[in-house]
This record gives sequence, C-alpha cells and structure tokens, in this order.
Amino acid sequence: MMDVAQLADWLSRTSLSVAIQSHEWIIPTIQSLHIAAIGVVMASIFMIDLRVLGLAGRDQSLLETTGRFGPWLSGALCVLLTTGVFMIIGEPSRELLAFSFWLKMLLIAIGTLIASIFQIALKRNEHYWEKSLSRGTVKSLAIVTFLIWVAIVILGRLIAYDHVWGSWSLSPKA
Amino acid sequence: MSVVDVLSSVEGSYVAGRIRDSLYLFPLIESLHVLGLTMVFGTIAIIDLRLLGIASTKRSFRRVASDVLKWTWAAFALAVTTGSLMFITNAGVYYHNFYFRSKMVLLVFAGMNMLIFELTAARSVHQWDNEAKAPPAGRAAAVLSLVLWITIIFLGRWIGFTTTGRPDLKNQPADDINIENLFPK
Repeated sequence: MMDVAQLADWLSRTSLSVAIQSHEWIIPTIQSLHIAAIGVVMASIFMIDLRVLGLAGRDQSLLETTGRFGPWLSGALCVLLTTGVFMIIGEPSRELLAFSFWLKMLLIAIGTLIASIFQIALKRNEHYWEKSLSRGTVKSLAIVTFLIWVAIVILGRLIAYDHVWGSWSLSPKA
Repeated sequence: MSVVDVLSSVEGSYVAGRIRDSLYLFPLIESLHVLGLTMVFGTIAIIDLRLLGIASTKRSFRRVASDVLKWTWAAFALAVTTGSLMFITNAGVYYHNFYFRSKMVLLVFAGMNMLIFELTAARSVHQWDNEAKAPPAGRAAAVLSLVLWITIIFLGRWIGFTTTGRPDLKNQPADDINIENLFPK
C-alpha cells in the first residue's frame, strides 16, 4: 500500500509534474484561473441562497433562479476541478500533505451533494419547494450551504499555510 | 513627510506588528481577502454578463443590478480592509512591487470605467432596461470590466509570488519551509 507521502513523491516525479515545476509562471496562472472560477461559484450559490431567503430575485421562481445560475455553477465547478487537479500534480506535497486540503475536499463533497440533491428535488416538485421557502429549516439550509462554501474558500488559501493546524498537518516539520 | 516615512511608520504600527508576530493572523486575513475578491468578481460578472446579453437576460438590467450591487460593495469593503492589513505588514516591499503597483492602477481604471458607465450608458437605462443587450457603450464597459477584474486577480496572485516574507513565493516544497523565515523581523 502506498501512503499519501509516497503518492505525492511519485506524482512529483511524473513528467507532467516536472514540466509544471520547470516553468515558474504556470502555478500562479492556474491559481489565478482557479480563483476567478471560485468567484463564479460563490456568486452563483450566493444568488440562489438569497432567492431562497427572499432577499433577491423574488420576481423569478426558484426554478427560474436555479436555471439562471445552475449552468454557470456547474461550468465553473468543472474549471475548478481541472485547475485543481493540475495544482495537485504540479505541487503534490503542498496539496496532499495539507490538513486544509483534505478538510476542503470533504466540504466540497458535502457542498456539491447538497446542491445536487436540491436541484433534483426542486425539478421533481417545484411547487412543494416554492411553498417550503417560508419554513425555517429551508432558510437555515441556505445559510449553512453558503457558509460551507465560505469555509471551502478559506481552507483553499490556508493550504499555503498548513502550519496553522499544528500537529494535524501531515507535512514534515521543519 | 516623504513616502518612505509614511511606509515605515505604517509598517512600524502596532497593528502591523501584531499581524507579523502571529502565526495565524496573516493567513486568516489573506483567506478573507480571497473570499472578498471572489465575491466582488463573481457579482460584477453577473452584471457584466447581463449587459452583454449573455446571462440573466429575462430580467431587467435594473433588477439584476439592484439585487447584486450592494453585495459587491460589501465584498469590496472586505477586500479593501483585508488588503490594507496585508499591505501594512510589509508596506515598503509591496509599495515597490511592480505587480502591486499595476494592480492599484487597474483598480483605479476599474473605478473610472464604472463611473463613465454611470455617466453615459446608465443615463439612458430606461430605454434599454428590458432589452437583452445594453447599447454598445454599455457592452464595451462590461467587456472592459471583465478584462480588468480578471487581470486584477492575476496581478494579486503575482504579488504573492514576488514579495518576500511569504511562504508560497519561494518555490520550494512545504517541508523545506523554516517558519522563522516566513515572517520578516
């Protein structure tokens, strides 16, 4: 069995990783594209959540609102996945040995699951969900969802500073 | 008082010292900066894409803008606050950094672009509010805005890779980082 440090070591010696490492401009470029795509994801989720909370776009139905932002959200998530994979290949130990990275991956799985379930449920029974908006549970879910994505953004930047987690960080101590 | 005096006095301020001395404050402030700037970019993109007739075309421009703009300003306030806090920790270095200077210039351009839009195309908004696309002047402002803000994101990232005292600029694997070197004395 290969452990995560060995995986990182192996990845760092692949030709793609070596190619990324040998050009200084590649990593900052990928990171910048990653951040721009995060902007699209954050704004899309924020606008859908504001609609759920009744704070924006009340003249459009919930389904119209998710129809407006859903494609941008999933498109940007694909960009994030792609640029994210290149960042892992380019700097495997920075990513794979960071506690922030794994916590971020967990929250992305939860955040994406909530968004997908909500989208499917909404398509099946639009009327029910539109009526449930006045309920506290649905509103709390919108707030929690947004906070999960806020945490994902913060953890993403904290990957560069994994020392903040002390002994939880997998990176070897200096 | 010269610029150098101002820079060294903000760098020597109590707040700047507290941030430099902490292992946690700079990473936290920088994370909040990313949160603020992603919200600024994302919400501005909603408006720009509406002007271009690419997204949200079934809602009037004014409705889209009024839903979004107040949050853009709130996010911008967060980005400016956290950005200033990062700046004062190493003011002299940031001030002389090419990418920092370029970013500040482009932020001014983005502001001017918005102002010109408000004074021209937005004046006749009642005529095109419900149209899928804004008139050419509005579309030009939207393209310029998207280009400027994406460039600002790139410049911001480049500041991190070209200033000293930051962990991810040294192009070395995380396990070689010596904590002592991360924070300027």
